[in-house]
Amino acid sequence: MKLRWIALAAVFLGAMGLAQSAKLKACFVYVGPPGDYGWTFAHDQGRKLAEKALPWLETKYVESVPEGQAMPFIDKFVKDGCQVIFTTSFGYMDETVAAAKKYPNVIFAHNAGYKRAPNLATYMADFYQVYYLSGLMAGALTKTDKVGYVGAYPVPEVKRHIDAFALGVQATNPKATVNVKWINAWFDPAKAAEAANALIAEGSDVFSYTEDSPTTIQVAAKKNLLAIGSHYSPMLKYAPNNVVSGQIVHWDKIYIDFLTKVHNGTYTNKNLQNVDYWWLLSHNAVELGADINMPINPKFIPALKAKMVKDSAGKMVSVYDLVMTQLKEMSQPKPSFDPFTGPLKDRNGVLRVPAGKTMTEEELTSMEWAAPGVVGAWPNEPK
Amino acid sequence: MNKPPPSLRRWVFEPDPNPPASRLWLVSLLAILAAFLASGLIFWAYGVSPLTAYITVIQGTLFDSTGLAEVLRRFIPLVLIGSGLTLAFRAQFFNIGAEGQLLMGAVAAAGIALFVPLPAALVLPTMFVVGFLAGGAYALVAAVLKARLGVNEILTTLMFNYVASYLVIYLINGPWQGKTVRGFAYTDPFPPAAVLPTLPGTLVHWPTLILGLIMTVFLQLLLSRSVLGYELRVAGANPTAARYAGISATKVVWLVALCSGGAAGLAGVGEAAGIHQKLLDPSQISLGYGFTAVIVAYLARGNPILTIPTALLMAILFAGGDVMKVSLQMPFRVIDALSGLLLLFLIGSERLVEYRLRRKENPQ
Repeated sequence: MKLRWIALAAVFLGAMGLAQSAKLKACFVYVGPPGDYGWTFAHDQGRKLAEKALPWLETKYVESVPEGQAMPFIDKFVKDGCQVIFTTSFGYMDETVAAAKKYPNVIFAHNAGYKRAPNLATYMADFYQVYYLSGLMAGALTKTDKVGYVGAYPVPEVKRHIDAFALGVQATNPKATVNVKWINAWFDPAKAAEAANALIAEGSDVFSYTEDSPTTIQVAAKKNLLAIGSHYSPMLKYAPNNVVSGQIVHWDKIYIDFLTKVHNGTYTNKNLQNVDYWWLLSHNAVELGADINMPINPKFIPALKAKMVKDSAGKMVSVYDLVMTQLKEMSQPKPSFDPFTGPLKDRNGVLRVPAGKTMTEEELTSMEWAAPGVVGAWPNEPK
Repeated sequence: MNKPPPSLRRWVFEPDPNPPASRLWLVSLLAILAAFLASGLIFWAYGVSPLTAYITVIQGTLFDSTGLAEVLRRFIPLVLIGSGLTLAFRAQFFNIGAEGQLLMGAVAAAGIALFVPLPAALVLPTMFVVGFLAGGAYALVAAVLKARLGVNEILTTLMFNYVASYLVIYLINGPWQGKTVRGFAYTDPFPPAAVLPTLPGTLVHWPTLILGLIMTVFLQLLLSRSVLGYELRVAGANPTAARYAGISATKVVWLVALCSGGAAGLAGVGEAAGIHQKLLDPSQISLGYGFTAVIVAYLARGNPILTIPTALLMAILFAGGDVMKVSLQMPFRVIDALSGLLLLFLIGSERLVEYRLRRKENPQ
């Protein structure tokens, strides 16, 4: 009798062990707290959605890991049996490369970087198309012809987004400028408020931004000004009467695709050297939206329908139709429109993209020039 | 009725004219325990049993090789800055600008590493010397202002933290921004000769660790065995008496500013050359070591050598916070709450040292 119980218990425990080992364990290193309402929040949403979608997946995360100090956490993750490790900030690049070397049997994926290895892939969901569409709306809605932009760091990613935004603004309003203020932080509500208030004082009446808090929206809303401002996560709820649209990310699309391919053996620790996710609208990794499934806040649709502009073919269309058409064009598997198609000059008149050429991923991720209409300091601006 | 009835005898809480030395330690210990109890309540409110939390922390730091390395890595800047600060506090020079002095040390180290051509063997020693001087000189500004103009050093040192922080931001976005960093705000990586060796598989840059231990011994000897130390102690304990004895208050202030700022500068060199191997955003260079070291120095009660155990305690808390983040998936601010409570209870209980609890008989 007793033996039977022991045997049963052993079988049960064994089955549990099997069930556990059958699960794929993916672990995430976050640069901020999931409560930042921006970058890390979006990654954490992606992690949760992936866990929900994939029954064989088990996840773990560690938040607010300072740059340059991720290795001890990666050590701990590997000890805890993590098979896939995502490092979700550019600043972890060199450490992730070192970790991939140290643990050749673990699969790594680094967000926003450019260095890869047989067991280290890179991934990014980029907003430049969405920023262009945001710019079209900002140009149409500004009454002062001044659009404010609160930027985090003057790095290529943010410069690319401001440039795309400015190209959009000038497409619907060639007189309008994009006035930029840098706060030198990804998350610093106090500095963001300072920058937004300074932009208001200079006359800006429509805002966009790249930083991880809803501050710019809130400051604009207080003066009843507009923001194209859901950044990374939906932010309509912070100012339902002032948020026109925005840029929403779906990291889960990348996480689910990557982890599924790891699970079914497509991706191994030997073949990731050339695996680089550069996912845009066509992969549904990013979304134009004031909220999920709401590209434009209905409150602003009449104003956008009333504003008529010339499209690339020279036909008069409303800004609303222009945005929706180009959104559709860029959402196709092979986009028939790209904002960074030449001829494009920078704000000093230097030709940057010749006619007929479209910027490559490599060029986009290292771009430093400022688009026409951009006003303000621009560190490292090429001559 | 010679003996009062029991009801008339009661406990009284009264000032103690001669508090014994042991009471200081007893009260401190009780304050630490109370802080742990109060933090336990926070953990409990978050849904983690306090017992589980503390057991996890202790196992993950002291009984785990990775964890122990993480403790040691935090111990290095804390013991360096803490031992310097004990000296400053002893002389009533309230330097709370160690964070900025650390950054100045890191800046100096980066400057030497990236822009000064030197023979390989001289690079690291030069970085440490220049880092010490940079941190010390930065604190000296506050010392001069205090000695000459009577400006409160708490305000100047605190404000100078921000100046240092913005200097770093300016450098990494401007003249020192790296050619290989694709527009991000970093300098280029230090050349190999400017990188401190670490214990294999860890981030423990052992040369700085040894330097920290030497520093505590050296400062302890300076304080208790030298004329300078004697002058410093007198000036701190009784400035009027010191003046009558012909001790120069200016000299004492300069000395402690140089020592405490210099020690923080050394910590900055260690962080830059040992952990990051480049200059980067100030919030990433130091994790608030300059502020946590205030608790380290405070707990050590003015004895540089005692910062070894107190820095170890705070290092365990630092590393323990990481363990809680990973093992219990708790938010990182939890550990800030714990160290905040620790300082609150310690300072709050300070007055209790001069009190005693005594059973007293009521006079008839």
